Amino acid sequence: MMVGGARRARDPREKRPWTFYALATLMGAFLLFLYGPMAVIYILSFQGPDGGVTFPMVGFSTTWFEEIWKPGQMANIPVAFWRSVALASIVCGITVVVAVAAGLGFRRRFPGSGVLFYLAVASLVMPSLLVGFGIGLGFRLFDWKPDLFTSALAAQLTWTLPFGLFAMFAVFNRFNRAYEEAATDLGASAFQRLRWVTLPILAPGIIGVAMGAFTLSYDEYARSTLVAGNRNTLPLEIYALISSSTSPTLFAIGTLTTAVSFLVIGGTLLFIRRMQRRRAGAARPA
Amino acid sequence: MSASAEPATAAARPAGMAAPARRKRRFRLAPRAISWLQVGPLAFILITFFALPTATFLVVSFWDYDRVGIYPDFMLDNYVELLTTPATYRVYLSSLKFAFIVWGVTLFLGFNIAHFLVFHVRSSAVRTALFLACAIPFWTSGIIRTIAWIPFLGRNGAFNQTLMGAGLIEAPLDFLLFSPFAVIVTYIHLFTLLMIGPIANSLSKIDPALLEAARDAGASRWRTMVDIVIPLSKTGIALGSILVFTQVMGDFFVVKAMSGGQSASIVSALATEIQAMQYPPASASAMILVVFVALMVAGMMRVVDVRKELVR
Amino acid sequence: MDHPVPHLERRFDVELVAATKRYGGVVAVDRVSLRIPRASYCCLLGPSGCGKTSTLRMIAGHETVSDGDILIHDENVTDLAPAERGTAMMFQSYALFPHLSCLDNVAFSLKARGVPKAQRHAKAMEYLALVHMDRLSHRMPAELSGGQQQRVALARALITEPRVLLLDEPLSALDPFLRTRVREELKRLQRELGITFIHVTHSQDEAMALADLMVVMDEGRIRQAAAPREVFERPADSFVAKFIGGHNVLNGPDGLIAVRADRCRLGAPGDQPHIAGRIAAVEYLGTTVRLALTVGDGEGASILLPDELFFANPVQMGEEAVMVWREQDSHPLDLPAAAE
Repeated sequence: MMVGGARRARDPREKRPWTFYALATLMGAFLLFLYGPMAVIYILSFQGPDGGVTFPMVGFSTTWFEEIWKPGQMANIPVAFWRSVALASIVCGITVVVAVAAGLGFRRRFPGSGVLFYLAVASLVMPSLLVGFGIGLGFRLFDWKPDLFTSALAAQLTWTLPFGLFAMFAVFNRFNRAYEEAATDLGASAFQRLRWVTLPILAPGIIGVAMGAFTLSYDEYARSTLVAGNRNTLPLEIYALISSSTSPTLFAIGTLTTAVSFLVIGGTLLFIRRMQRRRAGAARPA
Repeated sequence: MSASAEPATAAARPAGMAAPARRKRRFRLAPRAISWLQVGPLAFILITFFALPTATFLVVSFWDYDRVGIYPDFMLDNYVELLTTPATYRVYLSSLKFAFIVWGVTLFLGFNIAHFLVFHVRSSAVRTALFLACAIPFWTSGIIRTIAWIPFLGRNGAFNQTLMGAGLIEAPLDFLLFSPFAVIVTYIHLFTLLMIGPIANSLSKIDPALLEAARDAGASRWRTMVDIVIPLSKTGIALGSILVFTQVMGDFFVVKAMSGGQSASIVSALATEIQAMQYPPASASAMILVVFVALMVAGMMRVVDVRKELVR
Repeated sequence: MDHPVPHLERRFDVELVAATKRYGGVVAVDRVSLRIPRASYCCLLGPSGCGKTSTLRMIAGHETVSDGDILIHDENVTDLAPAERGTAMMFQSYALFPHLSCLDNVAFSLKARGVPKAQRHAKAMEYLALVHMDRLSHRMPAELSGGQQQRVALARALITEPRVLLLDEPLSALDPFLRTRVREELKRLQRELGITFIHVTHSQDEAMALADLMVVMDEGRIRQAAAPREVFERPADSFVAKFIGGHNVLNGPDGLIAVRADRCRLGAPGDQPHIAGRIAAVEYLGTTVRLALTVGDGEGASILLPDELFFANPVQMGEEAVMVWREQDSHPLDLPAAAE
């Protein structure tokens, strides 16, 4: 979801209407609302060793971060983290391949396209827990054991795939088919066309889809909770801690996992930006 | 006419001389077959892991059960029991109340922020930066964003401390945390982006010349908004409403973590039944929720052709 | 006779035999037959939606042919893939691959054929030199002006050594000044390469300036296909006369006639053909002055006068006037009913 479109350049000296200031204030207040509470837990996670889960800060330490790696209550967190990363990587890989292929397929009308489209919409708006419930029930009927990399993976895909598909629609909407016709005209085979023209041109969008799929899976809770089996993901571990933990360790975990998300998002955005810069032709020796 | 279409300069081909035979092209898959191959994996996953499980709880909702297990049957008892329990209506009413309040607030915020981003921000770099600022939290953990409100809204939380420090209140406000208020605030925090995105997308397709034309024709700011901007962003509003509405109706985490036990959600009631391994009644309430959400979404889809909007 | 006869000289580079394109129930190209002689510059001209682009895309192989045949160099290519036809296409938007440098864009078709890198780059440089773009070979398409992009697109098409080059409104994205220069260059290239160019345009000036064979299309059909001078002097019907411009289409004693506006004069009713009206506009165009007249039946007519002739005897807007012409300057057109 990106706000795009070339807007007409307006004279910067043109006087702003009063609505601009009203809406700018609203925008600022919204950003404060969005980031304020999150900032509070980032700050509190550096609470001193004697501090509690609310202000004031009693000193400043990294005690609560160290707590995560100490044996004890938090023992599951690091291993759950790596599980989450592994699961998110698999979800990301499958989502990209399947959504890009389906995006290509949806460029033509084909019998059944309407049914499949509404199936994807339904999968996206279905109350999350019910997806896990249905899959779990199915597994139980067949006497299969739910597991992270089977049932939970499947449950997450019912969420990331429709997301990926709709994102690919947006990507393809901006794609000029003349590029493909030109490639065909120049003698490229269907595979060469895909490999050398379509995919590279769409690469920024596809990387965006990959990032979305990764972070959605990495933070997913409601779909996987009933079907993760014995091995929990990080969000499931965090959920289990909410009721039991009364120390700022929970905030430290929150800070770390948000930092991971930010790293993934920031890294991806930088990567896409560099790619687009290259295309715009960053000063090369002529 | 076809006779006069013959070019004047070109000499006629001798009568009866056919065009040379076509060289047969190599075997190619029909376009629809290629499409089917390309969407095949998606269809397989959605059918196996979404459609079939949904069908499973549809079937199980008619089954019998006791403490030991579940038994194939065809009975309506689960539905009858559910629909004759006042608690069912209470929880639906409470969820609907949340859904409408959250829908109203996110629509107000989402529309105004999208309008600001698309029509008021002049530099595209600033617009992208602000949009990313709104979007990035969406890609981080919902659980963390939910519990982030606890130290903020609590009795000794940052908000109360600030208000008391400023001398605005004498004693801390108690209704802030573990209350319906906290639930609504968290929903708004989590879901406003789902409004901003689709509405901004709709607004950015409006030609600014239309607005200038309306102003030139003497329309006030307000009339321009009501007669032009809102009708043209209808699809975005409908899409955002569907997303926000289904998210609230399907939630169980926020209500559980933030209401302090004062409210229940449809799904959390259902989760209790699942944990008690009462699958047939759980399936029946799942089915009713699915039908309810489907009807609401279908109603909103009448306003907008989602498919045309997304696939173009 | 199913195969080309080797000892006969080929007369046509491209032939369309009742080529038809239907989209669902809509006929975009309706049984179009056309023969394009060897090494000619052919312009497909017509208003938007007339089927000229669909015709071009059928020749290129980017649209399937619903009915009829397409022959290139006496070979039936109707069912061949675009790359097997010996055509190359230059797209309206140029469709330069945005992620590849100019050099890699031009070398693309060689890469698809598996030509080693050094070899294909050397060849691509030759073609870039042909269009004077060799010095910017390492630039990305986004770093080039419209005119430069167009040259690269041309080089990319020509490196496939096409038998026929197809150009889809190649000049429409350029500013008017550049357009004239590029026009000259296209014509020069076509002469030098000795291959057929098929150029789609909606501009009659462009077609007049470039074409050996000018094909005027409307509603999926060819209205007239002839040399530009022939089309201008003897338009086949009232549509052609109106579309190419510079003509007055008038009711004559035996049906519609066309009279060139530059052959019309102001005068007095006499023995010669004439029509009375009122001056609706006077436009000074530099070398000529155009007078617009409203005549009896509500139709407009125009007179192009050399400037000294006009200023020797100027008239004002709103004056009564009589337009006269010589009998031999009127050209009979088909009756409107016969057009369908």
